[in-house]
Amino acid sequence: MIDVKDLTFSYGKDKQALHGLNFTVGDGEIFGFLGPNGSGKSTTQKILTGILKGHGGTVSLFGQDIKNAHTQEFFQKIGVLFEFPYLYANLSALDNLHYFASFYPKEQLRDAEELLDELEFKRDFLKKPVSSYSKGMRQRVSMARALISNPKLLFLDEPTSGLDPAGAVLFRRIIEKERQKGTTVFLTTHNMLDADLLCDRVAFISDGNIVALDTPRNLKVQNSNHSIVIDYLYQGKREEQTIEAQELKAGIPFVYDEIISIHSQEPTLEDIFIRYTGRRLS
Amino acid sequence: MWKSLYSLLKKDYQMMVSGKFFLVAVGSLLLYTLFINFGYLNFMHAEIYNVYLYDPAGTQGEVSQIVHPVASLEDMDAALANDTNGVGIDASSGSPCVILYTAAEKADQHRKDYALSLLHTDGGHSAEIVGSNTPEMKQRREITCELLFIEIVAVGFLGIASVLFKEKQMGVIRVHAIMPLKKSLFVFSKIFLFLLTDLTFAALMTLFNVGLADTGNILPAVLVQTAILSLIMALVGFGCTMLLKDFKQFSLAYLVIALFAATPVFLAANTSIKMAWIGYHPFYYVYMGLKNAFFGMPVTTPVYYICAACAIILLFGIVEAAFRKEMGREG
Repeated sequence: MIDVKDLTFSYGKDKQALHGLNFTVGDGEIFGFLGPNGSGKSTTQKILTGILKGHGGTVSLFGQDIKNAHTQEFFQKIGVLFEFPYLYANLSALDNLHYFASFYPKEQLRDAEELLDELEFKRDFLKKPVSSYSKGMRQRVSMARALISNPKLLFLDEPTSGLDPAGAVLFRRIIEKERQKGTTVFLTTHNMLDADLLCDRVAFISDGNIVALDTPRNLKVQNSNHSIVIDYLYQGKREEQTIEAQELKAGIPFVYDEIISIHSQEPTLEDIFIRYTGRRLS
Repeated sequence: MWKSLYSLLKKDYQMMVSGKFFLVAVGSLLLYTLFINFGYLNFMHAEIYNVYLYDPAGTQGEVSQIVHPVASLEDMDAALANDTNGVGIDASSGSPCVILYTAAEKADQHRKDYALSLLHTDGGHSAEIVGSNTPEMKQRREITCELLFIEIVAVGFLGIASVLFKEKQMGVIRVHAIMPLKKSLFVFSKIFLFLLTDLTFAALMTLFNVGLADTGNILPAVLVQTAILSLIMALVGFGCTMLLKDFKQFSLAYLVIALFAATPVFLAANTSIKMAWIGYHPFYYVYMGLKNAFFGMPVTTPVYYICAACAIILLFGIVEAAFRKEMGREG
């Protein structure tokens, strides 16, 4: 679906934002693009969505070089959720959706009200102006805008930002549902939980370079110290021991009365990111 | 394409309604009409200047009957002291010497010319009646033209900026970058709607202030000139909005355009102030085009229309490029 080779981009003579990125995203894959502010995430997404021109290297989407691909047909196949909910504040949710939907062929459109229902949008607000909505509600309308055209390739920039935990769970479920339909998702985020729960593969980008690219599982395994912490009771006293995972093959290698908990010492994606880049994500 | 254009037009119309643009336009129309009919015409109503002639030797041959002969220079002084708009002519030396009690050197040449034209002996000063307008109709046409020019240059220019800055603040311009529509349609839709509004405004303004009987003759030419001015101003407003960061910066640009672009044109076209460089000012030609249209003498030179068309096409290209740049700007 997406094939990026030696992608470079510069905002000026001395402002090189991307230094030769290489990655591919397969059909129906959820690909996470993780990096701190200013790392080149948004620039990459803007190049892929055709907003920024003048890049170096080759970028193919839908099997076509992106330099020739930014036609109306191309834009009909993609959906983009921006980091902020960009909507007409004076129009209602329905008017916004009907307006943006009007640029797509009728046969590929989803029903705006059904989509908003799916996103658990409060029906009372359907016809009220967006200016009266909370951030979470605006985010729901923005998500509906990105999905209304049934895109084959979905670009999501911080999809769960501004949502309460229940909203974030709902959005993850909807993204997962999109993947099941065969939609490819390019997810740009700071949110490690989103990346961990949703992505088939993730790329860590720092200062315009991809420093790691793999499945979240592989990254964790590769960066794990394979130790296990066991919390237990022995002779009425609570104790804790760290052992190597291999040692568990022969059972728990010490005496105890009761096991309270066993924790694998797998690093989080954020730990791994810091290990690769020396920087935090946010 | 038509479906997309219809959607854009509908949305822009809603933006203009919510921005109270039409309300402002109707308010301006009402205000201008009241000003012209109940203020300006009364204010500008003035009797024709009295001309006083002191010619003891009768050197001026056939003198118009409306000239008031005086017996002495003292009598002339007394007459001019009471009638400060009057013009005195001292012909005691054989050649006329004009005396004005209150005057500006450059602004009152017409009073001098008028007075001298009443002395039939001097062929170099013959006042001529141009056209068939009554003084009131002349004033109506003049002031309607001026206010229409101000409305389009200043108010229309601000109108498009206020709509666009709202869209910029809401971030929705960026969303259009990933929509399957021709980006030029976004520009076209706004320009078209503002053009339509300006044309309606011009038609109503002419109808209310010039009168039904005369509007029919001049309206097509007035609308053509309004269209040229409206397109140029809307495109300049659009371009400034895309290039400038916020409304504060735009206000400065607005001042520059309103003061330094429109003011010299008004002064050069409506007063006796001469500016040698005004010939290089493009707005001067557009303003004169509009003024001539109001006086039933539309511009017929193809060069003018070719230049206007080229300027509009060039501006459209610049604006479209600025719009594309804005779409790609960091959020």
